[in-house]
Amino acid sequence: MLEMFEYEFMQRAFIAGLFIAVLASISGTFIVLKRYSLMSETLAHSALVGVAVGLVAGYNPLWVAVFVAILSAWLIEYLRSTFTLYSDAILSIILSGSLALAVIIVSLGGSFNNSLFSYLFGSILSVSYQDVFTIVSFGSFSLLLLLLFSKELYFISYDEEVAQTSGIKVKFLNFLLVTVVAIIIALSIRVVGSLLIGALMVIPTAAALQYRVGFRNTMLISLFFAVVSVVLGMSISYYFSLPSGATIVLIVISLFVISLVSNKK
Amino acid sequence: MQISYKVPIFDVKNLSFSVRGQKILSQISLEIFHGEYIAIIGPNGGGKTTLVRMLLGLELPTTGEVRLFGKRLKEFKEWSKIGFVPQRASHVDANFPATVEDIVKMGRVAKRGLFSTFSKKDSQMVHDAMQKMDIVHLKDKMVGTLSGGQRQRAMIARALASSPEILILDEPNTGVDTLSQQRFYKLLSKLNKEEKITIVFITHDIGVIADDIGRLFTINQKATICNDPKKALSCEDMSELYGIDAHLIHNHKHEH
Repeated sequence: MLEMFEYEFMQRAFIAGLFIAVLASISGTFIVLKRYSLMSETLAHSALVGVAVGLVAGYNPLWVAVFVAILSAWLIEYLRSTFTLYSDAILSIILSGSLALAVIIVSLGGSFNNSLFSYLFGSILSVSYQDVFTIVSFGSFSLLLLLLFSKELYFISYDEEVAQTSGIKVKFLNFLLVTVVAIIIALSIRVVGSLLIGALMVIPTAAALQYRVGFRNTMLISLFFAVVSVVLGMSISYYFSLPSGATIVLIVISLFVISLVSNKK
Repeated sequence: MQISYKVPIFDVKNLSFSVRGQKILSQISLEIFHGEYIAIIGPNGGGKTTLVRMLLGLELPTTGEVRLFGKRLKEFKEWSKIGFVPQRASHVDANFPATVEDIVKMGRVAKRGLFSTFSKKDSQMVHDAMQKMDIVHLKDKMVGTLSGGQRQRAMIARALASSPEILILDEPNTGVDTLSQQRFYKLLSKLNKEEKITIVFITHDIGVIADDIGRLFTINQKATICNDPKKALSCEDMSELYGIDAHLIHNHKHEH
């Protein structure tokens, strides 16, 4: 079973994968509670624009993806605060717009190939040392911010206006959250892929919510599910030569279904 | 309790609010002083909630000004002095992952400096607030499973945890049974008399107004201030405020 760790690429993939499981589930808790679930999907597609630019222009795709995802997150947050009624439409427009843009850029660059495919669905084979470095450094920074402001973010998720009247800087923290989420999503597309990362953010928390426990325990259960899914998913992906992202997502969905059924009243 | 007339907690001058040309509130001027117990009543759609939202800076007035502890809203920083329990508190999402203690702890979040965790003092304040609202035994229960009355007390405990000087409650009795309501009014009086917390609460139901109220503001686009609430319930302002309903409510009062 443990022979897979003899390969350096698997070691790299596991470091990156575990880091992403932690990041995605913790940020995902706030995303789900704030009803921002669709946002993770949209940002994943925006990150793809960054990947496309990186691939075509020859920059590190992950770095450009982080940059573009942050810009997109700010744009969404700005538009949401301006056109509050149609915020889901805004997400939908930016999602399809980003995907279209990414495809055009890659086509023009003539590199519509395996390399892009791995960013769409995730690939454990392709995690480089540089990727691990990027994921760990940006990821640690994001995690620090999330933990630092977790009580404030929890309060805001519960009731934005009451949080504001208690003196919490709601606007600033909302921007901070979407920025951190943008970074995490961009980092995750190496392992999980941009079409599937939304699932790793949203489903562990959705599953944890079924247990109807307090905030801290919900976050811990969500974290546990994400880690289990990534470890199992990557192992299965290695032994059966399946795409890692898709395997991880199917496992996390199974955990969700089990949680749902076993907690049914 | 002793009312201090030095600096008003809220000083509202000529406040008006319109949405797309429609006047919601017009020319409201009022002051709320430390130690007062005030009820704001008026029909649904009369602008009560809008007034409160402007008092708290959640909505900007079209004209006029709100001062909090003598400061303009923009310059006001000491938000922990104000405890706000919004109307929708009674219908919190049943699945929101929060125990009663999680909710009450939120009241300490803004008080805590950046980079610091909850201190012993915070835990003590959270415990005290739950004790005042008699919900210590519920602290590990999920908010989604509470009764209306229990939930209401949890929300107030959250507001109390920041040791506010004033408590503002918007329609606090939505979804709460009569027995819990009576208990609730007793708690409010106690907070006002013993903890010296200024109380402002909003309701559309003038039948339930407690006896201890110091002043009554009626809001229906305009504000009328009654300094003797017992008289107010039978005064002509009521029929102006509620139209035909005032008659019914008036009779209802006599039955008791």
